[in-house]
Amino acid sequence: MNLLRGTGTQDLPGPVRSVMSVHMPALAVGLLLLVTVTASAILQPGFFSPYGLSASFATFLPLATIAAAQTIIVLGGGIDLSIGTIVTLSSAVSVVLMQGDDARLPLALAAGLATGAACGLFNGLVVAVLRLQPIVATFATSSVFGGLALLVLPSPGGQVSPILTGTYRMVLAMYVPIPAVLLVVLFLSWRMMRGTRYGQHLYAVGGNAEAAYTSAVPVSRVRVLSYTLGGMVASLAGVALLADAGAGDPTLGTELTLGSIAALVIGGTRLRGGSGGVGGALVGAVVLSLIQGLVFFAGVPTNAREFVYGCVIIAAIALAGLLTAREGSASGASGGRR
Amino acid sequence: MTTTLTARRLTRDPVVISGVVTLLLWVVASFYSPAFASWGHIVTTLTVASFLGVIAIGQTLVIIAGGEGIDLSVGSAATLSAIVASRFMDGSNDGFLFAVLVALGSACVIGVVNGIGVLLFRVPPLVMTLGMIAVVAGFIRLYTGGRPEGSAAPLLNQLVTGDTVFGIPGVLWLWLALSVVVIWLLRRTAFGWRLYAVGANRTTAHLSGVNPSAIRFSAYVLSSLFAGVGGLLLLGYSQNVYTNLGADYMLNSVAAVVIGGTALIGGVGGYLGTIVGAILLTVLSALLRTMQIGGGEWGDAPRQILFGLVLIVVLTAYGRQRHLRA
Amino acid sequence: MDSPTFLRMSGVRKRYGGVTALDGADFEADSGTVHAVLGPNGSGKSTLLKVLTGVVGPDAGQVRLDGAPLRPRGPRDTLTAGISSVYQELSLVEDFTVLDNLVLGVEPSRFGLRDRRAALARSLPWLERFAPAFGGRVPVRERVSDLDPGERQVVEVCKALVRDPRVLVLDEATASLRRGQVEVLFEVVDELRARGVLILFITHRLAEIYAVCDRATVMRNGTDVATVAVAGTPEAELLELMSGRPSAAPSGTRGPGTPAVETPTEGPATAPDATAAKDQDTDPATSPRLEVRDLTGDRLHGVSLKVRAGEVLGLGGLQGQGQSELMAALFGAARRTGGTVLLDGTPVRARSPKQAVRAGFCYVPGNRGTQGLALGRPILENLALPSVGRRAFLGVGLSRRREVAAARAVAERVNTRYGSLNDPVSTLSGGNQQKIVVGKWFPTEPAVVLMDDPAKGIDVGAKAEMFDVVAELAASGAAVIVGSSDDRELVEVCDRVLVMFEGRVVDEVSGDRLTEDTLIASAMHVTGADVAAAREGHTSELPDPEPRHAEEGGA
Repeated sequence: MNLLRGTGTQDLPGPVRSVMSVHMPALAVGLLLLVTVTASAILQPGFFSPYGLSASFATFLPLATIAAAQTIIVLGGGIDLSIGTIVTLSSAVSVVLMQGDDARLPLALAAGLATGAACGLFNGLVVAVLRLQPIVATFATSSVFGGLALLVLPSPGGQVSPILTGTYRMVLAMYVPIPAVLLVVLFLSWRMMRGTRYGQHLYAVGGNAEAAYTSAVPVSRVRVLSYTLGGMVASLAGVALLADAGAGDPTLGTELTLGSIAALVIGGTRLRGGSGGVGGALVGAVVLSLIQGLVFFAGVPTNAREFVYGCVIIAAIALAGLLTAREGSASGASGGRR
Repeated sequence: MTTTLTARRLTRDPVVISGVVTLLLWVVASFYSPAFASWGHIVTTLTVASFLGVIAIGQTLVIIAGGEGIDLSVGSAATLSAIVASRFMDGSNDGFLFAVLVALGSACVIGVVNGIGVLLFRVPPLVMTLGMIAVVAGFIRLYTGGRPEGSAAPLLNQLVTGDTVFGIPGVLWLWLALSVVVIWLLRRTAFGWRLYAVGANRTTAHLSGVNPSAIRFSAYVLSSLFAGVGGLLLLGYSQNVYTNLGADYMLNSVAAVVIGGTALIGGVGGYLGTIVGAILLTVLSALLRTMQIGGGEWGDAPRQILFGLVLIVVLTAYGRQRHLRA
Repeated sequence: MDSPTFLRMSGVRKRYGGVTALDGADFEADSGTVHAVLGPNGSGKSTLLKVLTGVVGPDAGQVRLDGAPLRPRGPRDTLTAGISSVYQELSLVEDFTVLDNLVLGVEPSRFGLRDRRAALARSLPWLERFAPAFGGRVPVRERVSDLDPGERQVVEVCKALVRDPRVLVLDEATASLRRGQVEVLFEVVDELRARGVLILFITHRLAEIYAVCDRATVMRNGTDVATVAVAGTPEAELLELMSGRPSAAPSGTRGPGTPAVETPTEGPATAPDATAAKDQDTDPATSPRLEVRDLTGDRLHGVSLKVRAGEVLGLGGLQGQGQSELMAALFGAARRTGGTVLLDGTPVRARSPKQAVRAGFCYVPGNRGTQGLALGRPILENLALPSVGRRAFLGVGLSRRREVAAARAVAERVNTRYGSLNDPVSTLSGGNQQKIVVGKWFPTEPAVVLMDDPAKGIDVGAKAEMFDVVAELAASGAAVIVGSSDDRELVEVCDRVLVMFEGRVVDEVSGDRLTEDTLIASAMHVTGADVAAAREGHTSELPDPEPRHAEEGGA
């Protein structure tokens, strides 16, 4: 048996290596979270008070939701540079329909969700059916969605329904803010989806589209659906933003897109697709938000804040990259072998 | 037989398609507003396109070099170089060369950092260069305190906008010269051939005695360098700087490259296509502006929407990814 | 076999751009048989089977399976029709575990969620059946990226079987398998045949056809030439049908049907004393061109060898015993942890391929598509790549005329057929592509040539030409090292063969001993008595259609 096995091939038994490679990114982002939370607890007064928690989670949730949306798309092998404009467009639609009236809230939310899904569907069709390169295609659609957002809501404003803002600020059982609950719900829904056949197909398409195709996975449908789902989740982020800010803003598009990508990379999702998960992206978003707060509370001079923030983000990304990078590291003959 | 084959190849050549689309857009624009057909208007359009064209030089190199190569920080490099130059020049010709060198040097630093992040730390290029945007923006704020000072040297202004013959400004000659150099670099140098080989198949290049990391690193540095040159040209054109001078060029440069037939997978394409792509994008937005779509109560919105839609249509004409089923 | 034909394909046509892959091919096969599809590269056999499996949409033609017309629009349709295939290029997702790969696309689910237990129930029997091919383990939870190429291929086979096919397509499925793995596969093939499954088999190894196949259809130039019963057809006749030439020996090879002809390849350097080198018998007349002492590295545990100028040294043994790693390490493409490499007596320490090339090494990697060529780039650039810096003016500027002249010269020397040097290298056939991979090194005038399976996956004629090129390189004074998974090739082309096992050289075979039998015996570490049994799978003239299989799975 030994004879055929080709021994000496692997220093570690296969399962051990598999486990290590799967959990490495989780370890990395967990470490980052620990560091940032500890630093925040030290530097930020009242970080663990009910108010502090509520305020923190209120800022986490929008970015975390967008990061989740982007992750769904990236896992399937795509990328969505228009996701920020989907957020703004869907929130603009919601806020315009809402008119500060609680009775119109359900309609407004449904319309926002539908808008997000429609934008995502459009992206998905452009990428999967027209087969355009995702980066350029979604750049083009971001121009479309951004323009539409400006049509719907030409300038920041609009009235958010009081129930929405009120609920968003609520804290349950002293220490559990509603946004934290929503974050958990988001994660659980993701786990649910991951458990379905679609969840598996998403990873397969992102990991190796040709293999998925020959294995009778409906690749195009999976891609279109991933963009649609991403758009829908992005519109949820729009709702969170509305609830947090109390008004709509048609201009924050690009920043959100960049944040979503940074968060998912820090969270250990491979940008090429097929590896990672929403859980990591959520934590990555939390880490990003915490770092932003830290730079403020650490007493960095105003003019240097952005620079320090940028450098820390790059360092975090590089760290995540170093720990996640498995392939591509082996150069030469062994690297090219599948 | 051969003629039909060549004809078929031509109709599939992205550069030809983009060229035809550009001409169509221009003809439509001329019908709409005859001023479009005037020599002066053509020169102005080309001048506006030249900034995008120069900034997209490096983008072309980085994308050809493959490995998911993309440089979203070109806009930042352009801005930084313009801001540094304007401060050192401060409206005078003294130490002109020094100012240019410092400006380009600072732009190159961005490329070096990008290269290190991508090659050493294995950060995906998209993320690395995205992150660099934040870093550079932060640095600019630190450096200027939010209010950039100084202005272009008169000499730079002269070089860029100065009338040569037939009302052609200097910047177009500069663009032409740079284009010739870049096309030569890609087609007739060992570096160019290696660049394509690295982009097409990094392992093969490595096993053929090429150092892919060195090639890709050079591509990132060159990208920032050319973006820096673009920033200087912008400075010479507008004479003053602002902190998001180059922001629009981030994705537009990618769009110009892709419209020109350089695929994001790397190893295919060239700068000629990028030139056409830059002109196409410029003509398109000029056309939308002339048609006065938008403006008034609608603001910028309809123009943005149309710009995106036309871009999709143009990209659909080619630039599509392979179908999974043969 | 008078029942209505189970599978019938008629008038199938397919064009890729200007190239006709299938030109009205007809094909028939019965259930419960193992049916080989043969032909040189580019004959359309792979395309034909891809039409059947729905990966390729035909331009014209009909397919009927079990009486019902089959018009697959994609792999999903063929899956429901009961057709599974094992692809040459693997269809596995590397990040997934073996189990997840096996059920990919057919995941059982309950209440909308994937049902792991059901998946396991479907997959486990097959994995257990193939356990000997995994070295005795059942790698359910291992990730595919952690498996070696042979094991991945076995997973690929299991994946096809989990789909419970009526038609199983094995397209070069044995190419990267070790002997023991092939034996398990052939046992399973026998069982499937008994259950009435139709197995379609593509391979370049004729011996395997005689080992398992009942019938064979020969394809040439996009059409079917003949369908024969394997048992009654001698090897020479099959080769004749494939090549379309009356002689079975295309362009100066010995007939491939007669192995163990120990004539080493022609060339002035084939010294008569090449036989004497049983041990490190340093010949006083010619000092070695390349000497390796105690080289260690990934999967290498102290390899020493000497190669003289003009000598062709083979690396044999079972697959994956460090042959590829040795060559990669010598070329600076894989890690080297210790040992000395001497070129003409001077130590060489190449840390990268670039340094190795400068020192006079060249390397033909095992996978031409992913390692040897930049497929989308022109032939010209591919040929120029390793030497382009040498011809450049001041190391920078190139003259197109000089490049074209250099490329032409090389293309002529390796006898490549091409349309234009500006065509992408991907437009060439496999054999011609491989000639580019080898030919691109000619301008660097290498002192040491490392070739990892240079004749893998190319047809008989191209193979012979490839061996001529190897001989020519040796004749020019280079030290040539050739690794191959095919013992017959080694016997044909090498002066001397080192047998490797677990990262060490365990035997040296040369002179009269250099025969396929000795190599197999040496590789398996078994006694001469077992050689006959081990050769079973390789025998060329097995008379009965139901071949017996050697008992030993991997003794």
